[in-house]
Amino acid sequence: MKFRTLAAVAALATVTFAAQAHGPTRQKVSESIEINAPADKVWAIVGNFQDGSWIPLVEKTEGKGGNEVKATRTLTLKGGATVEEELAKYDAEKKTLMYRINKVDVKTLPVNDYSSTIEVEGEGDKTKMTWRGAFYRGYMNNDPPPELNDEAAKKAVLGLYKAGLENVKAKAEKGS
Amino acid sequence: MMRRVGVLRRFRGVRRLSSSPIRGGRAYLALAGLLACGGTALAQEALVTAQLGNAVEVVDLASRKILQSIPVPGAPAGIALSPDRKTAYVTRPEGHGVSVIDLAARKVTASLDLPGGPLGIGVNPKSGEVYVADWYGTRVFVLRPGAEGLTLEGEIATGQSPSGIAVTPDGATLLVANRESDSVSIIDVASRRETRRVAVGQHPFGLTLSADGATAYTANVVSNDVSAIDIAAGRETGRVATGQRPYVIALAAGKGFVTDQYSNTVTVFDPASLKRLAAIDVGDHPEGIAATRDGRTVVVANWGDNSLSLIDPSTLTITGTVETGDGPRAFGDFLR
Repeated sequence: MKFRTLAAVAALATVTFAAQAHGPTRQKVSESIEINAPADKVWAIVGNFQDGSWIPLVEKTEGKGGNEVKATRTLTLKGGATVEEELAKYDAEKKTLMYRINKVDVKTLPVNDYSSTIEVEGEGDKTKMTWRGAFYRGYMNNDPPPELNDEAAKKAVLGLYKAGLENVKAKAEKGS
Repeated sequence: MMRRVGVLRRFRGVRRLSSSPIRGGRAYLALAGLLACGGTALAQEALVTAQLGNAVEVVDLASRKILQSIPVPGAPAGIALSPDRKTAYVTRPEGHGVSVIDLAARKVTASLDLPGGPLGIGVNPKSGEVYVADWYGTRVFVLRPGAEGLTLEGEIATGQSPSGIAVTPDGATLLVANRESDSVSIIDVASRRETRRVAVGQHPFGLTLSADGATAYTANVVSNDVSAIDIAAGRETGRVATGQRPYVIALAAGKGFVTDQYSNTVTVFDPASLKRLAAIDVGDHPEGIAATRDGRTVVVANWGDNSLSLIDPSTLTITGTVETGDGPRAFGDFLR
């Protein structure tokens, strides 16, 4: 029921402000986790842009261009929603990559113009992984409904990051 | 204080007269040297809109310290200074309006509510009129400064999502980048009407004028380039490729400097040949950029990691970093 309401709002927003890119105030979120595994092992899990299986809810990754800048991927989530993304920066030596979302429904993730950076830093046999995001709220004009305001966008992204980092930690610390 | 103002006037006079680049440049350098040696050297300040921190910060560029953080609610983003550089006007896109800051007292002295999404802002160097772009609309508000603050005097029609604003040094022509219309409006200030519309790259955001007011440059966010516009001819004369998501342009030491939001770099180009010269690594999500009054430093606001990067425009090296509040935008004329 809630999904349907949000979808209706999204459809309205798309029709009315089709030419608008986003609101005037970009938001940001950053989340880190300490993982008891070497950085190479963590990077092996998150460093392949063509495999988004470590991200919660992702069932399938289809893409092209490997890990080259401008490579693309489509993530299919449980329930069928898709997210289209593009790689903007990739540095295997520094274990960092940056990508952006080219297309997502605001009912899947209530954001616009989203870009994201992943950093993996080795600290001895431990690793610090950081996931940072920059984005605008889901509603592209003044007076957003609560589901599509700045707070809703930050909450959704932060929730995704926390679950994603826990996922990577569990995978990396499990066995060899 | 009086003495400082006097020096500033003299200094600016020389700068304006320097139409002959070599001679004027020498006189200007000599004066800059004098200023640096004398005890009354200008205190150069950056006025940084920390959008997520809801503040405007006064940063002393010599000591690289925040002198004062002035609370401004409503996600302050755009900034412009009065012709005498004593007053700052700050747009509040979420609080819908403009705040007026007395820079000597470092206090908000007045506020004006506006409809829509006030974001880009510019000041007429002759009349002191303030122009505010409505990000959600197709208009620029015209505000009149007075003893009581600002009054809304009228509107000028533009293209969609007007963003960056600049006024020619003679105060006669207003230029507005229309982000969603991929164009620049050239507006006659006296009649408050658009006289020409110039097609540029995709999604122009920042707009900067050459010192003589003859050429305008726009940073085209989606086509990843900068357009050069001959204002008198009313046409685009060329483009130079930048990094990803170019945002705002500054001119210093005969070069152009563009913040590349997604590349975390500043692209350096030659304004004459429109050739790309270099890329300088700066902080995360660089946004606002401007040259100091003495032309010796280019200041970049890094929105992502809450800092300013200071660049020497001659050597193209980073000479310092200053920590700021959350989400510095500094979109506009933020140095004095």
